[in-house]
Amino acid sequence: MERAIRDEAADVHALEPEAFLEEVHSFEFWFHSVQGYLAGQTFGHRPDVHGAPLAPSEREHLVTVLCNYCVGETAALEGASGLVAIAPNRLTKIFLATQVADEGRHLEVLLHRLGELGVAAPEAEIERRASRSLLHFKRRLLELVQSRDWEAAIFAQNVILEAMEFTVFQSHARTADLVTREVLQGIVKDERRHIGFGENELGRRLQASPHIRARIGEVKKELDHWVLESFEETLREIGVPNEERPELGRNYLEVVARLGFA
Amino acid sequence: MSADPLLRHEDAEETAPRQRFLLEDTGFDEVPPKYRRFYRKWKGPGDALGPNEVVCPVCKVVIRSTRELRPGDRVYCMPCMSRLVVVRAEDGRLEARVAY
Repeated sequence: MERAIRDEAADVHALEPEAFLEEVHSFEFWFHSVQGYLAGQTFGHRPDVHGAPLAPSEREHLVTVLCNYCVGETAALEGASGLVAIAPNRLTKIFLATQVADEGRHLEVLLHRLGELGVAAPEAEIERRASRSLLHFKRRLLELVQSRDWEAAIFAQNVILEAMEFTVFQSHARTADLVTREVLQGIVKDERRHIGFGENELGRRLQASPHIRARIGEVKKELDHWVLESFEETLREIGVPNEERPELGRNYLEVVARLGFA
Repeated sequence: MSADPLLRHEDAEETAPRQRFLLEDTGFDEVPPKYRRFYRKWKGPGDALGPNEVVCPVCKVVIRSTRELRPGDRVYCMPCMSRLVVVRAEDGRLEARVAY
């Protein structure tokens, strides 16, 4: 009898909605989640995994791509840490604190990978190779955070930026060298939480306050161009064929359609 | 009972006892150990789903239940923190819709 009760309690789908939200936004949940796929890793990959040497042109493309991933992750790190202060309640503050930890880890493992590829001064290299459109997006995201516009900033960061990263990293992991693949696969697992948080938080806000829809629509209109340009640049660098690119863009289009911005 | 054959099918489905499933850990490692058996990786469009499974539209993980799923059921995707409702799609398959 006691076993049956315990099993029933462990059925995730039997949780009340409030209990579910409390659980998945917690640091406790985050800690036991990341432990599952990061334990035993060193800088995002198993220590005994080594990539085959890259041809000079492959290395050149990879360094450019990783530099731009660092720009995106820095934007998310600065954005998420700024959002903690304006988050409307305890659950969102705690979740964003876990996201800050994730983004800091992403930046660190990507910088470390650049070091493994022989980049002596990663910060300078990032400045030299950063995409103009991604830098513009980062600047606008941080302006939205500074203006304390919770919904617009969550849309820019956890819907637009994270959806793009989720798609690009998954695609890149399929063709990357072994070390880069493991680093990206670990990041993608974190990104699931970030995209889900963004879509669900914004979805709830739009339901409760439909008048914010027009403002978010304006933000989308402004930022779409910069994000899609940066998306295209990255897909070109990682060698995704032209015919596969619309399929990859579909993920973002599906998210905005679910939120009513088709 | 409804005269509409489609509705009659729904009625019959609603009254028939649901199949039960014993879930085993499939190696999905993105949630705490006590929740892992409720999820598995999706292998793409060719992945055959069981009657107790739906794909999360947000993060594309397969959500699993200990019982056969039916339209109107609530399921949770813990990897992406989404609340979902099971619906029957136009092609007859079960799918999950996000419930904000």
